[in-house]
Parts: sequence; C-alpha cells; structure tokens
Amino acid sequence: MSEQTLPNPMPQGNVVSRIMYSRYTRLILILVFAASVLLPIVFMATTSIKQPIEIRESGAILPTRGIFTENWGRAFANVPLVRYLFNSTVVAVTSTLLALLIAVPATYSIVRFRTGGMVLPSLILGTYVMPPIVVSIPIFMMTRIAGLTDTLFGLILLHGMANLPVAVWLIDSYIRSLPVELEQAAWVDGYGRFETLLKVVIPLIRPGIVSAGMICMILSWNEFLFALILTYSDVSHTFPIGISRYEGEHGLQFGEMAAAALTGIIPIYLIVLFFQRYLVEGLTQGGVRG
Amino acid sequence: MRAFFEKRAPFVMVFPTLIVLLIIAVVPLIYVLRLSFTESTLSAPFKAFIGFDNFARAFSDETFGRSLVNTLFFAFTVTLLETLIGFVMALAFQSEKRLGGVVRTLALLPLFTPPVAIAMIWRLIYDPNSGLINHYLNNWGILETAVGFLGNPQLAMPAIMLADIWQWTPFTFLLCLAALQALPKSAYEAANVDGASNWQIFRRLTLPLVSPAVIVIFLFRFLIALKVFDLVFILTYGGPGSVTNVASFYIYRVGFTQFNTGYAAALSILVLLLISVVTTFMTVGRDLILKRLN
Repeated sequence: MSEQTLPNPMPQGNVVSRIMYSRYTRLILILVFAASVLLPIVFMATTSIKQPIEIRESGAILPTRGIFTENWGRAFANVPLVRYLFNSTVVAVTSTLLALLIAVPATYSIVRFRTGGMVLPSLILGTYVMPPIVVSIPIFMMTRIAGLTDTLFGLILLHGMANLPVAVWLIDSYIRSLPVELEQAAWVDGYGRFETLLKVVIPLIRPGIVSAGMICMILSWNEFLFALILTYSDVSHTFPIGISRYEGEHGLQFGEMAAAALTGIIPIYLIVLFFQRYLVEGLTQGGVRG
Repeated sequence: MRAFFEKRAPFVMVFPTLIVLLIIAVVPLIYVLRLSFTESTLSAPFKAFIGFDNFARAFSDETFGRSLVNTLFFAFTVTLLETLIGFVMALAFQSEKRLGGVVRTLALLPLFTPPVAIAMIWRLIYDPNSGLINHYLNNWGILETAVGFLGNPQLAMPAIMLADIWQWTPFTFLLCLAALQALPKSAYEAANVDGASNWQIFRRLTLPLVSPAVIVIFLFRFLIALKVFDLVFILTYGGPGSVTNVASFYIYRVGFTQFNTGYAAALSILVLLLISVVTTFMTVGRDLILKRLN
C-alpha cells in the first residue's frame, strides 16, 4: 500500500509521513479505522435495544422491529448486576491504591539507588510476562489456606500484587527522567531519603502515578482468570464474571447481556475520555523503552 | 530507630515489593515445580511422589502438543498482523494534529474494553442465525448458507484472531506512533536538503531508525499474546474439538475442571520452558535483523 502512494508530494506536513500517504489515503484510513473500532461497540448498543426474538432471527445492525428497552430493566432484575459493579469498583480502586503504595517507593529505590541490581528489574518484568495460569494453582491454594477465597479482600490483595509489576514498569520511566540534582539539593537541605521521596519526587512524577493508577484500575476491572477461580458467589463475583451469567432457557440472553456489558463498559470509557492524555503517555513511555 | 530506617532506606523501599514477588511468583513457582513431580488433585495435593511420570505423560499427550502449536501459531500471527497494521497506521497519522487526537482516543477504546464483554459481542457477531456477519454476507449474496464461524474447524481460530486484532492493534499503533514521533527531526531535514527521494528517506532513514523500537514492540506484544485465555474461554471454550485449545486454557481445564493439579503443574513448567526458549530465539533473531538493517 505504501509504495503506491509514494509519488504524491505533500506540500504541508512533516517529511516522515509525507513519504507514505496522500491526504486522501489518510482520511480513508481514518474512516476505516474508526468504523472498525466502533462497529462491535455500536452493535452491542443496538443489540441491547432489540427484541429478543429479533436478536435470534436477524443480525441487522439496527433494530427493525422498534426499540425494546426492557432488556435494560431485565439486565438488572435477573442478575445482581449492581452488586457485581460494586464489587468490581471496590476491588479496582483498593487494589490500585495498594499497588501504587508498594510500587512507587520500590521503583524509586530501583532507579535511584540501583537496589537489586539487574536481578530485581528482570524478576519484576518476568513476573509480568509469565502467564498467570502457570501460578494459578498455588495462588488458589494459598488463598484457600488464608481463608480468603470468595472474599473481596482476597481479590483486592491478589489484583494489587498482580498489578505491582505493571505499576513499577510504568512509573520507572518517569523517575528516570527526573534530574538527580533536585534530590541532591533536598539531601543537602537535610531531607531524609523518605522525605525526599514524599515531598520532592512524588509531586514531580504525579502524571506517571496517575497514568499507572488508571491503567492498573482498568486492568483490575477487566481481569477474568483470577476472578473466575477465586470467587464462587455474588458476594465476590466481579463484573467480568457477572456478564457471563446471562444464560437463560433459550441460551444466552444477548439483549440483556449487551445492556449489562455496556453498563460496565461506560465507566471505563468515561475514564478513557477524561484521562486519555495520561493513558497514552503511560502506555507509550513504558512501552518503547523495552 | 529513624536513623536505622534512614540508613537502609533503599532496601526498606523495595522490601514490600520483594514480599509481593515472593508471594505471587517465587513461592508459587517452587510449589508448581514440586507439585509437578507428584500425583495431586485440587483437594489432595502431594498424594504420591511419581517422579517424571507427569512429564512423560505430557510428551505423549496429543491435546497438549496441539495446544502448544495453537498458542504459538495464534501469538505469532496476531502479533505480526497487529504490528504491521499498527506500524502502517502510525506512519499515516504521526503528523496529523487534529485528527491524530481523535484517532488516539478511538484507539484507547478497544484496548480498555473488558475482554469478556467484547468476546460476548464477537460471539453474537459470528453467530450463524443472529450474527452480524452472516446477516450481511447473506443479504449481499456472498454467502448462500449460514456459516457458524466459531463451530467451524477451519474458521474458529481466525475468528478468535480477528477479535484479538480488534482489541490489540491499537496497542501496537500507539507504541509505533510514539516511536515515530521520537525520531530526530534533524536527520530528516538533512535528507530533504540532499534531495533524497521519498522512498529513499523511508528505506534508508525511517526504517533503520525506528526498527529497534518496532522489534521491541513486536516482542513485547508477542509475550502478552502467549497468555491468551479470556477470548478462547468465552468464544469457543477450546473447541471445536481442540482446534482453538491454547496452553493457558488447557492448563485451566486440567487443573480446575478435572482437578488434576499434579499434571497441570507439569504442563505449566513445560509451557514456561517453551516460552523462555522462544523468547531467547526471538531476542537472537532481533539482533540478526538489526545487524542486517544497519
């Protein structure tokens, strides 16, 4: 594709992309991209307002037999959706605070004082890269021995710990970019190591903490495997487990399920819209460094 | 007391992290290793020491072999396509000011949609009777009969891959975009003055400069793709047959639905070994590619 669009000289724009695409190609690409991203989401939205019979018979994207809002009522009535959303919120927020509380000082220590040398950073990255299923059996056993299966507290601890490597990895580049002179000045002024971290470093890396926090929160909100093996009942089921529970006599109740899924997705999308700058920054800062 | 902590501040700061790594990685891995040499169930672990029996069984277990091939095939294919599409799109958008912002916002949506929720929607999209794809392909006369994508041995894996590509291409796109935007402007100005052609600039400047970053993105995404579980669980539950059975899902089945934790532990160890070997090979491959480009 790129070679065909080569001969188009672009009067404006910077050289790097001028090479590759004409203005029209870019507009078409944007449209195709937007359509492919939005199609499944729009289909979910329209499915949530289609009649169950229509859902079973036709895959048209728009409802043809009028709008049927009852799916939304049933989504809340047939399954304790509010409970699941509440559980997910508690777990996501608390586990994120836990992860940040542990990750920020650790990252600072690893970057600034090279604590743990080469071993600790690789251990942290290795933990992140390892498929969670590999440790699922011992995690299950430990949770059971601690009496924390089917409790929110157990899931909070687990998500907090599981997201710790992600948080460290995301905050790392922010601390790395700080000039060490600021901290040295603080030390000269009689600040201790902890005071410096608290009063100098943390205020400066706040954007990094926000983006790491947002990403951890969303990861926890979306997490499936551990929620699946550690929760058995409505007491601790989270939203991802909850939406797989719309099986009815006629198979999966897609209309209700779509309504429920949207209810859980909308808060995430709001966070994405409000914090997009932080999210993009966090993802890319951590990502390209390797 | 204060002085004691202050003196050991670097260690005190990482101490909680060490504990966490012990709990979620080190101890579990030792446990899994021990478990793999025993006959164990979920309710009665360490029933008997059986040496390498679990491993021997794994090597003659066709379903396991199939799941490994599936995992590698899945991870490699989606990573390749996602990196390719992401890179091409990043080239297109990296100098867009206004529209670029819109595209970046849009890109975040699939990435942060709960995989379970989106898998449910893809299930409906692929459905033979009420699916979106069948509806339009039938209406436009491209298909005569309804196709059950997820129940079809040839189509089930590509169907899962498409859902994955939808979710993860934004990730490679955003990272490629950042890599392109970090390129030094001065090199391009010099090339422009020298009257280099567009293709020359791309081939001799952009590609060598950006490829180290793109290869890191590829490797990183590949390692995440090897963990695939949610999509398979919701879309096909490993079926039809074991066409879409991937390693994570198979270990889950053995450990948590058949309760054979000893065998699941052995499978886990083998999967970890395989991942380490593949990662080493890919790192070596990365160095070779970089050498050729420069």
